[in-house]
Amino acid sequence: MFRKRRKIKKLEQLIAEKELKQPQESVQQAPRSQGSLSGDLNENVNALRSIYDNCSDFIIRPFLIEGKEKATLLYIDGLSNIEEINANVLTPLMEIPKGQQSYELTEQEVHNLASILEKKISVSQVKEVHTYMDITNQISLGKPVILINQSVKGFSVDLGKWAKRAIEEPSAESVIRGPREGFIESIGVNIALIRRKIRSPKLKMEELEVGRITKTTIVLAYIVGLAEQTLIDEAKSRLRRIDIDGVLESEYIEELIEDNPSSPFPQILNTERVDVVASYLLEGHVAIFVDGSPFVLIAPTTLYSLFQASEDYYQRPLLSTAIRWLRYLFIVISLLLPSLYVAVLTYHHEMLPTTLLISMAASREPIPFPAVIEALLMEIMFEILREAGIRLPKQIGAAVSIVGALVIGQAAVEAGIVSAPMVMVVAVTGIASFSVPRYNAGMALRMLRFPMLILAGMLGLLGIMLGIIAIVVHLCTLRSFGVPYLSPMAPMQGQDMKDVMMRLPRWAHRSRPHLTGN
Amino acid sequence: MIEKGKISAAQMALMMHPTIIATGILFVPSISAAKAGRDMWLSPIWGSFIGFLVVFIAYQLHKHFPNETIIEYSEHIVGRIPGKVIGLIYLLFYLHVNGIIIREYGEFLSGVFLMTTPESVIFGSMTLVCAFAVRGGLEVIARSAQLFIPIVVLLFLLIVFFLALDLAPTNMLPVFEEGITPSILGAAAPAAWFSEFLLIAFLLPYLTDKEKGLKWANLSVLSVVFILVITNVTALFLFGEITADLLYPVMSAGRYVRVAEFFTHLESIIMAIWILGTFIKISVFYYALVLGTAQWLKLSEYKFIVLPLGFLLVLFATWSAPNLTELKGFLGTSAVFYLLSVQLVLPSILLLIVVIQKKVIQKRSIQA
Repeated sequence: MFRKRRKIKKLEQLIAEKELKQPQESVQQAPRSQGSLSGDLNENVNALRSIYDNCSDFIIRPFLIEGKEKATLLYIDGLSNIEEINANVLTPLMEIPKGQQSYELTEQEVHNLASILEKKISVSQVKEVHTYMDITNQISLGKPVILINQSVKGFSVDLGKWAKRAIEEPSAESVIRGPREGFIESIGVNIALIRRKIRSPKLKMEELEVGRITKTTIVLAYIVGLAEQTLIDEAKSRLRRIDIDGVLESEYIEELIEDNPSSPFPQILNTERVDVVASYLLEGHVAIFVDGSPFVLIAPTTLYSLFQASEDYYQRPLLSTAIRWLRYLFIVISLLLPSLYVAVLTYHHEMLPTTLLISMAASREPIPFPAVIEALLMEIMFEILREAGIRLPKQIGAAVSIVGALVIGQAAVEAGIVSAPMVMVVAVTGIASFSVPRYNAGMALRMLRFPMLILAGMLGLLGIMLGIIAIVVHLCTLRSFGVPYLSPMAPMQGQDMKDVMMRLPRWAHRSRPHLTGN
Repeated sequence: MIEKGKISAAQMALMMHPTIIATGILFVPSISAAKAGRDMWLSPIWGSFIGFLVVFIAYQLHKHFPNETIIEYSEHIVGRIPGKVIGLIYLLFYLHVNGIIIREYGEFLSGVFLMTTPESVIFGSMTLVCAFAVRGGLEVIARSAQLFIPIVVLLFLLIVFFLALDLAPTNMLPVFEEGITPSILGAAAPAAWFSEFLLIAFLLPYLTDKEKGLKWANLSVLSVVFILVITNVTALFLFGEITADLLYPVMSAGRYVRVAEFFTHLESIIMAIWILGTFIKISVFYYALVLGTAQWLKLSEYKFIVLPLGFLLVLFATWSAPNLTELKGFLGTSAVFYLLSVQLVLPSILLLIVVIQKKVIQKRSIQA
């Protein structure tokens, strides 16, 4: 009964939403924008002018082709390369040839797009457009459109040019050894960076458009033969189902195509590094590029890949294995150390050797709070400092860290508000959590620390174990694009374990890792 | 099918291992020591025969009805109404037994570690966590078993290894002082535990590699024998005949561990790893109960009965015994007959009926 009523309510909501959306759509696109071009140039230009009503950056430039036929050039100021337009489009088209030349157009050819393209336009990428929709799309990509009188087709020339950031080393994923180039905000450049690493034509790039208003370009990249067809289809269908007004960052897409958006753990990897994307493509994953974002999404993702750094693969295998183990240890520390400390101090004194216990008890003697409160206080303090450090301008950041270090460290201990061992525990935990190579995974662990602390304060070791079990059970339920989040550990795939517990030398990687839905 | 997940035979074996061991290593040493005395190390081996027998019966029944659990095929074997009655027996049985398991877990924790914590909190928190896993389905329980159980077994063996210096093998002498009878009598409790292998009747239909099911189930029985023998031997070598008077011999053994003058008093660590095993044990029983109930009531989904049944489990845990002494007494005496009659006798009757039915049908078809 109750469920039914809820369903009806949902339906009503849906209908109401649709009604709300409809008028918006009609405002967004003039009714004519769907239509195709007519033979009359004036009519076409007027229609486009009304679509781009009140757009001061929309430029209309009428001209004559070889002094014979009326034509119009349309573009948006600042998105196109004006010098190139002048040199390679306008000049050759407008020039009236003196005497008989092979490049001259006959009276019929003037109306024939194909021959204009062949003889006059010296730009490599030219695309025909048929509808107003095509035209607005091309113009908004920075590609000028040329319309010719008495023609129901126009063409766009690829002369887009706008300000771009230079290719730099990504600041969040720096390496000591390894390539230093990172993605930028322009999707064309990003794709080219990948293409330079993987030259085989088996690397496919499928373009999609997402965002009703932003009309953001999205590219789904995969390698045919390495990526499973079901995975590619699933990724495509999830991307196509997105219905959103705007996409400003790849995180928008990530959130919309994730299997379980309410989980604290990221189920899609994001990276700024070109080599990381290339290596995942080679392992049969798919990559999703979003225009305007330097972060490329990689799916499916498992928990272990969040704990792998690209540097693991660029250093000697033995050392990389050792560092990987160290990292796993840090991950456990960043999740558990404060709660273990609290549990031992509150419930399990007998676990500590007597001398250590005495010195700890002595340091805790003047503290007015129970250990849980003390730990929570310090952890929150640490998180405040960390958050402030990211947001503040660099000049003030230094001041905050000095004051923070004093407040969190010496002064608090001397004032008898926290004990010195607690400061150590919090500091070690904080540093350990930054050793997780993926920021968002480290973030998840850092946030889960708080419920663990409270559990430890309530039930001691039992609470910690229950917390761990709950987290592991949650991880076991997660899937990323059908692949279990904890594979290849659970379900166990012996073959692929070679890259989890250790980093075997490259010659020992004889089989490709394979992603399964089981 | 209600359960859409699939597990491998190896995962099933890993799930069944703690399902026997978790409470087994707590109670079995002292219960079998009470009857078998110095020959207690032999008792799990006698008990394991019941385990192999139950696995054999469950597997034979599974071969006749490859896609059904015991709740479903009992209806096919003895008819609708009697089948429903048998199904109800199993459901009430698993409800009660799982209540007892949660009680054992709670008694252990509140007796040794959290003396002032109300038992309902201990029962409830564990049941809640298990409910998470059961809601996730068979795959989730199997995967968590795969992650936890290797750690549990390794740490257990490590602790036994650290105890090596304190062990006195002479404690087992003289062997067979009163013949072989005491060790067989002591096998009653382990046999009851081994009969819990009937739970594979709920897991076998969901295997991806069914042909390996029997092999892995038998390996699982063997691994349980191995751990139980090691437990009993350690307890015997360490405490000799006073093992029978100890409440939790393994826990007491943990107190002896000393490594590098730093790791002393490892009982908290033992408790922590033991909780992982118990979690799997309770989840597997809980899962069988939930899945069975859904199949018995012909529901299309089992997720929404998880929490209500969990509430019942906490109640049964509270009701199952007035105190620990009576619980232990029950486990050593009548529980043996209780567990064996439901988990061994009832399925063997079912199997017998199936075999006879098949023979009759065969004869008829030959005559016709």
